[in-house]
Amino acid sequence: MNPFLDFRSVPCEQKEIPLDRIVRAKDKVMDHIVEGYLRLVEEEAKDLVWLVEHSRVVKAYNSAVETIRDIPFDQDDIEEFCAEMDASDKIPYMISGPAGIYVSALVNHAQEDHIVLKLKDYRRTFHFFGYRLPEGKTLILEGNSGDFIGAGLAGGRLVVKGSTGNWCGAGMTRGEILVIGYTGQNTGEWMRGGEIHVDGRIRGLGKRFFGGRIYQQGRLVAPDEPSRSI
Amino acid sequence: MSDLDRILRELWPEVRKRHLFPELPAPTCAEGEQRVGLDMKKKRISISREFVEEMSRQLKPAEVLEGLLDHALSHYLYCPWDFSTHLKLYGEAKRVLKDKEMARTATDYFMDVVADTYCISQKDTPLPKIYKNLNRSNLDKAVHALCQRIWGLDLGVAGFEEISRKLSRIPYMDRSRWKENIRRFSKAVRTLLETEKERDPNSSDRKGPIDSHEFHQYSVQEIEQGLKELAAETATPSEFKEIVEDFEKELSEATGPAGRGMGLGAGQSVDADILYYMKLAENYLLAIRKRPVQKSGALYPHRHVPWEVGRPFRDIDPWTSFGKIMPGITQSWERLEGDVFGREEGIPDCIAIIDSSGSMTDPKRHLSHAVLGAACACDAYLRNDARVAVYNFSDAYSGGQQILPYSRNRKDIYRTLCHYFGGGTQLLVENIQGLQTERVPDIFLITDMQITNLEALIQYFNESKNRITAVHIGDNKRVQTFRRSMAVRKNVSIYPVDKKEDILRIVLGKIWEYIYSGRS
Repeated sequence: MNPFLDFRSVPCEQKEIPLDRIVRAKDKVMDHIVEGYLRLVEEEAKDLVWLVEHSRVVKAYNSAVETIRDIPFDQDDIEEFCAEMDASDKIPYMISGPAGIYVSALVNHAQEDHIVLKLKDYRRTFHFFGYRLPEGKTLILEGNSGDFIGAGLAGGRLVVKGSTGNWCGAGMTRGEILVIGYTGQNTGEWMRGGEIHVDGRIRGLGKRFFGGRIYQQGRLVAPDEPSRSI
Repeated sequence: MSDLDRILRELWPEVRKRHLFPELPAPTCAEGEQRVGLDMKKKRISISREFVEEMSRQLKPAEVLEGLLDHALSHYLYCPWDFSTHLKLYGEAKRVLKDKEMARTATDYFMDVVADTYCISQKDTPLPKIYKNLNRSNLDKAVHALCQRIWGLDLGVAGFEEISRKLSRIPYMDRSRWKENIRRFSKAVRTLLETEKERDPNSSDRKGPIDSHEFHQYSVQEIEQGLKELAAETATPSEFKEIVEDFEKELSEATGPAGRGMGLGAGQSVDADILYYMKLAENYLLAIRKRPVQKSGALYPHRHVPWEVGRPFRDIDPWTSFGKIMPGITQSWERLEGDVFGREEGIPDCIAIIDSSGSMTDPKRHLSHAVLGAACACDAYLRNDARVAVYNFSDAYSGGQQILPYSRNRKDIYRTLCHYFGGGTQLLVENIQGLQTERVPDIFLITDMQITNLEALIQYFNESKNRITAVHIGDNKRVQTFRRSMAVRKNVSIYPVDKKEDILRIVLGKIWEYIYSGRS
């Protein structure tokens, strides 16, 4: 007698459930995003050292925008991409400058107008978040962030529920940055417009200031502060 | 026999068949908590009569029983599958949530989602009907909203759109990504867990809506294996300790008084540091060269006893077991120590000498490769049924020493190895001499050689006939002195270590070299 006869009546085909479709679609989008990032990094890593220069940042951002143009992503994808960069082995290397610029490009071109990123969940420090955030977009960063946060802000609203590194709001033209914690050196350097509100301490204001306003605990500190050191 | 028992007895073969005949005893109906549907103890599923009766107001009792059995079997067959996976998932959740109770709850929910999703995708099961009729907390609602979304079934949950959308992106069916998945899961439900904890601070005994995921569902052997794997995967003793100490009570209960050799047992607390090195050392099997002995201390087959699951296979006597591996039928040899007449080869006993002075790593704070190396060596001797004596020293003249006479008790041996004195480094050669026996034991020394009275040790080794394996950490003048002094001794093997991290690999490699170099 065949001992496996009993198994014949047991259905063994796997049913497709919505989870399969959701995960497949998500994986496809993530693969595109990761691929785009790796292309950008490959391009930017040619010189071995990634220096923060205006032209270089602009070039990297434009490349990023070009890369993500046809990808239908949303806030969940951005969050997952950040988590992948932070912890996963899916992304072999992370250069924090281009990574932040790439995430900024994703945020600026996401379907949603209101995006929250929980930075305190990450071990790495991300820079350049909120770069060129356009009008109509709100980005909320929960946790401490790195340098150049809100650099080149272009009309959007950036809320940092934590502290930022140096060069916060550097070169911003319009919009608003609200920092619940403190900001580092050169806050508002090359600023041309918009407002920065800092609830905590400002370690140092930028030396070249062309417009806009910086408030510390509701008090205007730039452009009217004569000593520049708070 | 009540109606429920009868229905359960009729259903069990069907459900078992659906799950491809898992080897589990027939389930039972028992009095239990109204809220928790089932429990599993020592592989036996126990279904709560109260829960079934409560659910029977909306569903047929057979549907409730069938759904609960499907749920239990999916846990058994898919997630967590074994204790090791359960512990690893908990470890990841704890890393994210930093709170024992929240991590346990998150792990329970994650395992429920994975197991039930597996069941729904593979079998026709009434499980969703149970989900639909459960009493729900807010957290339950969020998780059920997720299930509703990923199963494509109406479970009667409204709201929780955002969290269920986030959670639905996790590939629950990808076993290779469970660690990463539970981290994401834990992050996503953290706010809900915190709210739940604030609302009910006494929720420490909170159980999932269907089952409780207690550790008594695992066998002692599974727990031992799980701890071994955990020790291998954690980077530091403190990391291991953090997880194991969270389950001190449960592990002691689960292993009971019969928790052999694990450092566990009723009335004893888990000494996680010792357990860490004990379990980590089990991952490295060192070979030892045999040598002719008069009385080896080895254990020899003495009489037959019925074999039980968990006893070593090597003791099975196939000639009296009818060719079967089956508890109760298979016969196993019980071994007793016996004399050896003639020149039979065997493994002698070992004196493990370990330096725990201030220049050595504190094994309780960081991974001490010296302790691990010594633990591996002791483990190798113990596996070969030899006995081990331990001499742990720092400044022996000031009382900084601990001596363990010959023993096969792993816990005592590892406890002595793990003891850290700090301070100066002097040993008393008389204490090593005191451990010598007629059987001429092997000596295993592990130190950084910064021994103040190194000359005394060199002189002693020069005069001794023992096989000596000396492992030193780092390189310094005293190492050179020791090397030069031992250069002509054929019974002394010295293993240099450039980096502390290399010690394990080099000890393993050198022991092999030692074995084969002797034969060539």
